[in-house]
Amino acid sequence: MEALADNTLMEKVRDGDLDKLSLLFQRYKRPLYGFFYGMNKDQELSEDLVQNTFFRIIKYRHLFRGEGDFKTWMFHIARNVSHDHFRKNKMNFKERVENWQERLGHEENRSTEMQQLEAQQMLSMAMDRLPTEKREVLLLSKYQEKKYKEIGEILGCSEGAVKVKVFRALEELRVIYKQLEKIM
Amino acid sequence: MEKKRVEELVAKYNEGLADPSEIIVIEQLIEGGEIELTQLRQLSSFNEQLMKEEGPLPSPRLDDQFQTMLGEEKRKLVKGSFSFKFAEWSVIIPRLGLATVLLVTGFVGGNLLQRPSSSQDVQQLTRQVGELKEMMMLSLLEKESASERLRAVSLTNEMDRVSDKVTRALFQTLNHDTNVNVRLAALEALTAYVRQSAVREELIRSISMQDSPLVQVTLAELMVSLQEKKSVGALQKLLDNDSTPKDVKKQIKKSIDILI
Repeated sequence: MEALADNTLMEKVRDGDLDKLSLLFQRYKRPLYGFFYGMNKDQELSEDLVQNTFFRIIKYRHLFRGEGDFKTWMFHIARNVSHDHFRKNKMNFKERVENWQERLGHEENRSTEMQQLEAQQMLSMAMDRLPTEKREVLLLSKYQEKKYKEIGEILGCSEGAVKVKVFRALEELRVIYKQLEKIM
Repeated sequence: MEKKRVEELVAKYNEGLADPSEIIVIEQLIEGGEIELTQLRQLSSFNEQLMKEEGPLPSPRLDDQFQTMLGEEKRKLVKGSFSFKFAEWSVIIPRLGLATVLLVTGFVGGNLLQRPSSSQDVQQLTRQVGELKEMMMLSLLEKESASERLRAVSLTNEMDRVSDKVTRALFQTLNHDTNVNVRLAALEALTAYVRQSAVREELIRSISMQDSPLVQVTLAELMVSLQEKKSVGALQKLLDNDSTPKDVKKQIKKSIDILI
């Protein structure tokens, strides 16, 4: 029902009623922000990338045909926005990763603080240590609510291939999680 | 594969006893839809936990930015539909001009072919072709489409000499075009005329008018390659501006350090 409403709203945006984009923005700013933040751990950058995604939605609104799901189309754009950003800022990304790894190192050493970490926080830490591609597929799975067929459309592969990607990512996540448990 | 064998594999996996070759088989079965991820208990608990995790919240800044962007886009749309009324003339006038210049060029060219060419005639023809390109460039710059405007800017590369009108149009594009790529192309085109002190001064003035990090950094780099010390003040202002992105500030700081 919501998917239908999304498409109807986007069709209105496409036809020039830009105000309707506010509704889509309110609906999806948080999942999009969650996706970007999960990828880069930078609040300001993630907000900028959400903004860029909506900018591209306006720019390429004429390409929305309404045949598929709006959310899938939006995440497709979001993924391109994220990739374009890191392609242009390879060095910054590297720096960010290094900072993050350094930060993670400190957190691991603080055993008393680690003891207070709950399972959810541990999981979040394990996620941050996953390679980018695996983290991306799990974040898409989360924010696309496990609609593997749609994720396949975003990643350009079959539904079965997405399931295998999710399987491998979860396997690695499990291994990292166990390692973190040992550190505790 | 037999259902029983699949169940055995799943059970083995769930007890943590599956070896690497069995994991490969499991992957194949997942891909073929014979095993669902929910059957793999160890993993599905992680998956569920991930799904339950509350996503982070963006700050109110995002809403403000979005509303500003939407407002700008709406304004552009209104402007676009208003100018549409005049679209016919804005298309016809340059075309008429173009046709006239082509006619004149053809006439002069024809004359040249009929009689022995003289350097004066060639010069005249060159000048007329130059004028034609200039006119095309100026009319293309007015287009809504960014690719047309990019074409306009690239036309200047084919011009031997450009008039003040063209450099003014390039600066107008550099400072006010809505598309970053077009602005960058205008900047690149202008670098051909940096020997003119007026162009250099305008470029310095342009620094404070840019909001795109790419253009800001390119301008800063240009100032370094020109060793333009007069630009330090403008670069410093950009450095002091809170809205300048961190990475740009870093680059600008480097440029200032080289210049001073």
